[in-house]
Amino acid sequence: MRKMTEYKMFEGCTIGNRIPFIEAASRKVFDKVGVQTSQAPFACCPDPTGVKSFDNDAWLVMGARNLCVAEAEGKDIISLCNGCTNTLRGVSHQLKHDSLKKDKINAQLAKVGKEYKGTIDVKHFVDVLKDNLDKVKGAISKQLSGLKVACHPGCHYMRPAEWMESDDPMRPTTLNEIVATTGATVVNYGEEILCCGSAVTNAYPEHGMANLKIKMDAITKAGADVICVNCPACFQQFDTQQRDLSKQYDANYNIPVLYLTELLALAMGVSADEIGLKFHRTRLSGILEKIG
Amino acid sequence: MAIDFEFRKQVMDHHIGSEVIKYCYQCSRCADNCPVTAVTTDFYTTTGYNPRSNILNALLGYKDAIFAADELAIWGCTVCDTCDEVCPQNIELTEVFTFLKNQSIAQGKGPDFIYAQAKAVFDSAKAIPSQPAIERRRQQMGLPAVAAPDVNEVQTLLKNIGADKKLK
Ligand code: SF4
Ligand code: SF4
Repeated sequence: MRKMTEYKMFEGCTIGNRIPFIEAASRKVFDKVGVQTSQAPFACCPDPTGVKSFDNDAWLVMGARNLCVAEAEGKDIISLCNGCTNTLRGVSHQLKHDSLKKDKINAQLAKVGKEYKGTIDVKHFVDVLKDNLDKVKGAISKQLSGLKVACHPGCHYMRPAEWMESDDPMRPTTLNEIVATTGATVVNYGEEILCCGSAVTNAYPEHGMANLKIKMDAITKAGADVICVNCPACFQQFDTQQRDLSKQYDANYNIPVLYLTELLALAMGVSADEIGLKFHRTRLSGILEKIG
Repeated sequence: MAIDFEFRKQVMDHHIGSEVIKYCYQCSRCADNCPVTAVTTDFYTTTGYNPRSNILNALLGYKDAIFAADELAIWGCTVCDTCDEVCPQNIELTEVFTFLKNQSIAQGKGPDFIYAQAKAVFDSAKAIPSQPAIERRRQQMGLPAVAAPDVNEVQTLLKNIGADKKLK
C-alpha cells in the first residue's frame, strides 16, 4: 500500500492562489531532482498564526481532515510552506499525544466519513531536498559564483523543535547548505533566526515594520545581493513590505528576494521567464545580470 | 486582584503538559528573546508586549489582568516560537498563548485580520480564495489547476465544532 517515492503536494493557499510562480519553480526543481508529487483536494492547512489563534479545535479538525486526505492514498505530504508544515505537523503532534483530543476530533471527522489514524508523515520541501543533496548538486548546471545570499529559513520551518523535528531551532544550517550547492556565497548577518514579523504586521503594522527594519538593516550591512527564503509568508513580507518600510523610515530598502526553488531553478539552467520572476515586486534585474 | 481558579485550570488543561506552566520562575528569558518585546518595550516599562507577564498572569489565574489590558498584551505575539525554545523550564508558551487568543476571540475581541481570515476559510475552505486572474496565470505557466477542496465538508466540520458562531 505505502508507496513512499511519491508525495502529495501541499502548495498551500498563498502559493496556489496568490503567488503560483513559486509553485512553478518548485515543480521544475522537483523534476530535476527526481522528487515525484501528485495533487490532492486539500483545504487550507489552516494558518498556525491565524485560524489556530481563532480556535484551536477548528485548526485541529481542518488540519486532521487534510491529513486524512493524504492517508487515504497512503502517501506522505511535501509542503512548500513553513506555516502549512507547522500546522500539519503540529496537528499530528497534538492528536498523537492527546487521546482526548484525538477522540473529540475523530468524532467530528466520523460525521463526514473520515478518521485520522496518524499513518503519514509531513515534510518540508527543504528537508526533502537536503535528503537528496547529491541529486540537487548533480542538477546544478550554472554556478552562481559571486552572488551573496542572506538566508532566512523562517520560524515555522524549525520551531518548535519538539515537533518540527527539522533543523537546529536556534542555529539553522540546512538552507545555507542547499544554497551553497549553487556556488553562491552565504553571508552571515547575525539575525538569521529573527522572525520576518508577518503575523504581527497583520495586527500591528508599526511593530511589524520596526521588527523588519532590524532584519533588513542587518542584511543590508552584511552586503547581501539577495534574500533567500523557503516560506511564502516570509517571501511576501520581504518582497512586498520593503517599499512601505522605506517610506516609513525615509530609507531605501530594495534587496531582491528569491524562493529557494527559484534560486535553484536559475542554477539548474531554467530561465527567469519560465518561472515568472517578473511577478516579484522587488527588482531582480541586478542579480540576473550578475549571474549572467 | 481576584484569582480565577476555573481559568487557571483551563490554562493547565489546554494541552497535555500545559501544567508545567507552574514551573515558571519568571527568569524572563522568554521576554529577553521575544522580537515583539524588543520593539514594544523599553527596559523596565510595564507597557508593550511581554510573554513573561502573560505566563505569570495565566498561572496565577489573573484572568482580568490579561483580558482587561490593551489587546496588544495578547495579540502582539508574532508566533515565532522563540520563547518555546529558550525557556529553561520547557514551557510551551505559544500553546498557552493560543489558549489566551482563543479566549479573546470567544469574547469577540482580537484583530480584524484574524476574523477576516477565518471568514475566508469558512466561505471557501481556503485562506486565500481562488481568483480567475491567478487561475489564468497558473495556466500560462503550465501549472495544473489547484485541486478544489470539498467546501461543504469543511463547513460542516467547522459548524459542528461551533467555530462559525465566533465569526463576525
Ligand atoms: S523563560 Fe520560561 S521560566 Fe523563564 S519567565 Fe519565561 S516562561 Fe517563565
Ligand atoms: S512566540 Fe510570541 S511571545 Fe514567543 S518569542 Fe515569539 S513573538 Fe514573543
